[in-house]
Amino acid sequence: MPALRLAQERYGWLSPEALVEVADCLGLTPAYCLSVASFYDMLHLEPVGDHLVEVCTNICCGLRGAEAVLEAFQRELGITVGETTNDGRVTLRAVECLGGCGWPTVVAVDGRYRLSVSVEDVPAIVHCLAAAARREREGSGG
Amino acid sequence: MAELVTVTIDDRAVQVPKGTGIVETAAAAGVEIPVFCYEPRLGPAVGACRMCLVEVEGMPKLQAGCTLTAQDGMVVRTARTSPLAAEGENATLEFLLVNHPLDCPVCDKGGECPLQDLTFRYGPPVTRMTFSKRTFDKPIPISPLIALDRERCILCYRCTRFSEQVAEDGQLVARNRGALSVIATFQDLPYRAPFSGNVIELCPVGALTSTLYRFQARPWEIQNVPSVCGLCPAGCNISATIREGKVKRILSRNHPQVDQGWICDRGRFTYPALYAADRVRTPLRRVGARRLEPLCWEEAMDELERQCRAAEGKAALVLSGTETVEIAYALSMLVRRGLRSHQALLPDGVGEELDPYRAPLSAIAEAEVVVVAADEPVLDRAPIVDLWIRAARRRGAELVTIGPAGTVGRQPGDWQAVCAELADPGSAVGARLRQAERAALVWSSSGGCHLLAQLAHALSFHERPGCGAYYLPATPNGRAVTEAWAAAGEGSPTSPPSAFSLLLVSGDEALRDPRLPELAERAETVVAIAMFAEEARRLAHLVLPGTSFLEREGTLVNLEGRVQRLRRAVEPPSRAETDWIAELAARLDVDLARSPSLPRASTQEQAPLPPRPAPQPMAALQPASSLQAPPAPELRLVRYRALFSGPLVERVPQLAFQRPQAEIELSPEDADKRAIASGDPVLVRADGKEVELRARVNRRLVAGVARAAEEHVRDLPDLVEVRAR
Amino acid sequence: MAEAPVLVLAGADERDLTKLAEYRAVGGYRMLEKARGMTPQEVIDELIASNLRGRGGAFFPMGRKASFVPRDTGRPTYLAVNADESEPGTFKDREIMLRVPHRLLEGCLIAAHAIQSRNVFIYIRGEYLAEFEVLRAALDEAREAGLLGDVSVVLHRGAGAYICGEETALLESLEGKRGQPRSKPPFPAVQGLYASPTLINNVETIATVPKVLELGGDEYAKIGAPPNSTGTRIFCLSGNVERPGNYELPMGISLRRLIHDIGGGVAGGRKLKAVIPGGSSFPILRADEIDVNLDADSLGAIGAFLGSGVVIVIDERCCIVELGLRVAQFYMHESCGKCTPCREGTRWMVQILRKVEEGAASQGELDLLLDVCDRVLGKCLCPLGDAAAMPIASYVTKFRDEFQAHVDQGRCPLGESSSLDGLLAPADQHASATAHGHLSIPRPSRPVAGAARGA
Repeated sequence: MPALRLAQERYGWLSPEALVEVADCLGLTPAYCLSVASFYDMLHLEPVGDHLVEVCTNICCGLRGAEAVLEAFQRELGITVGETTNDGRVTLRAVECLGGCGWPTVVAVDGRYRLSVSVEDVPAIVHCLAAAARREREGSGG
Repeated sequence: MAELVTVTIDDRAVQVPKGTGIVETAAAAGVEIPVFCYEPRLGPAVGACRMCLVEVEGMPKLQAGCTLTAQDGMVVRTARTSPLAAEGENATLEFLLVNHPLDCPVCDKGGECPLQDLTFRYGPPVTRMTFSKRTFDKPIPISPLIALDRERCILCYRCTRFSEQVAEDGQLVARNRGALSVIATFQDLPYRAPFSGNVIELCPVGALTSTLYRFQARPWEIQNVPSVCGLCPAGCNISATIREGKVKRILSRNHPQVDQGWICDRGRFTYPALYAADRVRTPLRRVGARRLEPLCWEEAMDELERQCRAAEGKAALVLSGTETVEIAYALSMLVRRGLRSHQALLPDGVGEELDPYRAPLSAIAEAEVVVVAADEPVLDRAPIVDLWIRAARRRGAELVTIGPAGTVGRQPGDWQAVCAELADPGSAVGARLRQAERAALVWSSSGGCHLLAQLAHALSFHERPGCGAYYLPATPNGRAVTEAWAAAGEGSPTSPPSAFSLLLVSGDEALRDPRLPELAERAETVVAIAMFAEEARRLAHLVLPGTSFLEREGTLVNLEGRVQRLRRAVEPPSRAETDWIAELAARLDVDLARSPSLPRASTQEQAPLPPRPAPQPMAALQPASSLQAPPAPELRLVRYRALFSGPLVERVPQLAFQRPQAEIELSPEDADKRAIASGDPVLVRADGKEVELRARVNRRLVAGVARAAEEHVRDLPDLVEVRAR
Repeated sequence: MAEAPVLVLAGADERDLTKLAEYRAVGGYRMLEKARGMTPQEVIDELIASNLRGRGGAFFPMGRKASFVPRDTGRPTYLAVNADESEPGTFKDREIMLRVPHRLLEGCLIAAHAIQSRNVFIYIRGEYLAEFEVLRAALDEAREAGLLGDVSVVLHRGAGAYICGEETALLESLEGKRGQPRSKPPFPAVQGLYASPTLINNVETIATVPKVLELGGDEYAKIGAPPNSTGTRIFCLSGNVERPGNYELPMGISLRRLIHDIGGGVAGGRKLKAVIPGGSSFPILRADEIDVNLDADSLGAIGAFLGSGVVIVIDERCCIVELGLRVAQFYMHESCGKCTPCREGTRWMVQILRKVEEGAASQGELDLLLDVCDRVLGKCLCPLGDAAAMPIASYVTKFRDEFQAHVDQGRCPLGESSSLDGLLAPADQHASATAHGHLSIPRPSRPVAGAARGA
């Protein structure tokens, strides 16, 4: 599993080629690696954006307006949940309980938790992601 | 013997050894506990399907019977006497059926389906599922041999457990999680593995079906004929499914000492070759250079008699080692008694000097230490032995493989030196073999049966019944065929073919023997017994129809020395060999009465292994200096007959994907020296002959050796040069 | 309750206990020293005396579990710490790892000593990135300070699967496999990680161990609601409550007090409708049932559970059918797929609940739903099936009127004003599922993508 995580960190997702590479390193079959990877939600077998926004929609956040927060993200990003923005920068997902039920709504941005996110906070988060994306573009350009 | 305990199942007390599974304990008490996922041959019970729920006194919840073992005083109630267990059983069946398509009328499994049977017996009479069922694309060909219907799948994980824990090919896996779980291969690539077909038999529903059997028959219009596979020296027990006089499929027939109910894909899927377009159905006579024309039997027998009479004292017989004892004996009698000729090319077989060290194949799995001496992969010589060795390793046996691709790397053919080393008390591996109560020596190289016997003797295997020496010969019945030849000779010495005018070649495999073209050249007349015209076309003047082991009644002796009965599953398309040979023998005044020295097959369904004879004195092993790698740039070529090769395999298009890749294996050192990487095209040459193959770097191969399937390097000598193209 | 002790989180309000020096300043790692001066059996005896019970939900006495771990098997002995906190409503282990990581590590080392293990694995849920980093830093500090001795502590990150919180699934996952539970027996204590003796405990349980030694088992056992519910719990208060958060309190506090006095009552002064104690895997309580003490015996008497110390407060705006649907979707999504009743039952429950929620269900389907729950309950390989069936059955039983109203009116009585209206479940956008055309259950408006079916 750590090997699958490493491969995902390097390639962004677990492509068939990445699974073959992991299998070769560990002396396993690609099919076995696929079997393991497909069991876990955080291992992506499809390409995802450079940034991942995950909104908890389990009951505790749900009781406190997670649906509205999710909708706000869809609006701001111009995509529906499960999709990636056209420029490949951001993927939006709904996820199960992130373990921050005391501070709803919990949103994980690239694995970092934002607690007590309300609809009003969403534009700023999306703005930050856009700024980060711009910096990366400039960084890679220069 | 384990301690006996008393368990009460549905008010019936039964005594079983402590630790016996509750499913088996119930069976001993005459009570059925239905199961789907439970299959002890696949390793520890997983308790996944929940079909076997039982009530156990003192336990608050229902328990999966398959995961329980017998303890003294245990009181178990199955669905037969416990309303709670009955509710559990019924619930499991209801859950299994909520997404099962119930397409039994068009399902191949219908009529022999555990899900159908158990639903009929214990299931709910009506469905309460009103939603649309889970749907998938179907059927998905997971290989050209196997179709997967995911809608029918009940996710018992038998197939994936077989792939992971028995065959260890790791190719068929479960993908995703929960209700989305499906059985899959990587990237929908074909399930390419030598034992893949077993998953069809393991599947308790119609999710995995054979593409060759699909829509071919219904269970109530078939017969299953118990017989033995005649394609390799292991002699796995099989059943041939017959419908309207044709073989429709091959199933395993569990012989716990031989095959444990597994068979390889060659044994399972080559039967369609019986119906190949070039099957010889009448005698054929050569007309012109390459053409064969049919001949009526009368003419053929006259011609054959004429040829025989003309060749008295000048006939030679080539036996392939696929013959039954009876056919081999009749042919030998014909040649030796009728034609007074004692020239023969005899097949590779186990020598009787190994009998004092024999043990059932299943003993390999129980060994503490297994030593495999292999120039050629075990899998390709006797596939089932490969599974027994894997089972041994899973049980914690120490496994040492010696040879060009072994954990102990040696040059091919270096067996004199290896055996002497192992027999030396100073050798660590030798010491393990000497001390272990249960040990196995497996010999997967051509020739060397006597060496193996010497080694087994030196290690005093004959004193320990748990120790066995196994020689894997290149032919299925070579030993018995050779014995039949000897029995027909009344002590006359055998000579290799030297001065002959008539060459009698028995079997399609013999026709492919690399020595044959040269022999045929020297003969005035070549008579071939062949199943396939294409195999005989180049060499034979007269061709007589050969039969498959599925069409023969007779006796086979496997590599253990087990005498097994072959039953005729279907009639051959023409006269059987035994029939026309008898006629010819009568014409030549040869009495074919069976010699008492011939092995006789047991009448039991599962043939027993004959006891070990007392060992004969053996010469001590002479030390020899170890073979060195050939001087650069030459490489020693190791050729092996790939499992998926030969006249039968080539006639089944669905098996084409299993055939060996056109590649040559090189050691990392040799590849580096030649700047060759895996996948590169290379030229293999010697004596002015050249073959282009793809390179594969095998980390385990020793330097100085190149390995390839025989069919790709047929014309090359043993020392070759390899370079990048 | 002025004297209410804070044990697990003690000192964390005043100091930055993520730093070794600060933790040592409040007496940190002294109990490790003390434990190492005791025999393993003496440590286990203290744990048995304390009656410290598993905080992960199963409530099994830790000392007894540790005493089941055999010695001298010729195999290594492992300690596995369950930090895969994923039960909806639970967020206490996270707090422990973020604020008192050294107390957790100290507990690990003491427990390792008790079972003579030199190998500790902390299985931390993959989503917990910050927690992993804090714990890793603390571990580095402890290692540098030589506190680990000959014990190796490995942090293993999960990758997103609720089921890995089940102990045998956790072991499978640690071994690099699909996290599917194993059949028991054999129990992990005998045959756990790599078929070797293994003690598995929850983060909060382990983090309590230093305090048990500090107070002494007998003293610890006096706190809370002895004899069965000793010590403190970190209660995770969430939902429609004014002041949600983690509160470490002695066991046995009344649910009403927790919600109204400590949590500040229902948010916005709304009316209380229901409370889910224990976590989403456990039965619901109606508003009139909150006069109960939060200890195992009191809750057990009314068919409820302490679980992982969760209290989810639900106000009047919530449609219980929607709640049930969302909870069922969670379990369907997280079912591992190994055993039949859970894999098929959770999916069927979702199908029925969706139909009820849409107002399309018949009277018989409410009974069918209860029956499906009943047929899952107690028949699965691991507790996940029960965890799905138990709450759903309780929702139908305790709020039968509301379910009935959906059937009678052909729609949700609360309509769009329900707080959970339209809430999207991840099961509906499972990435690998949609890409392969196996979308679990289509919503009426969305056809099944790519799933072809013959005529």
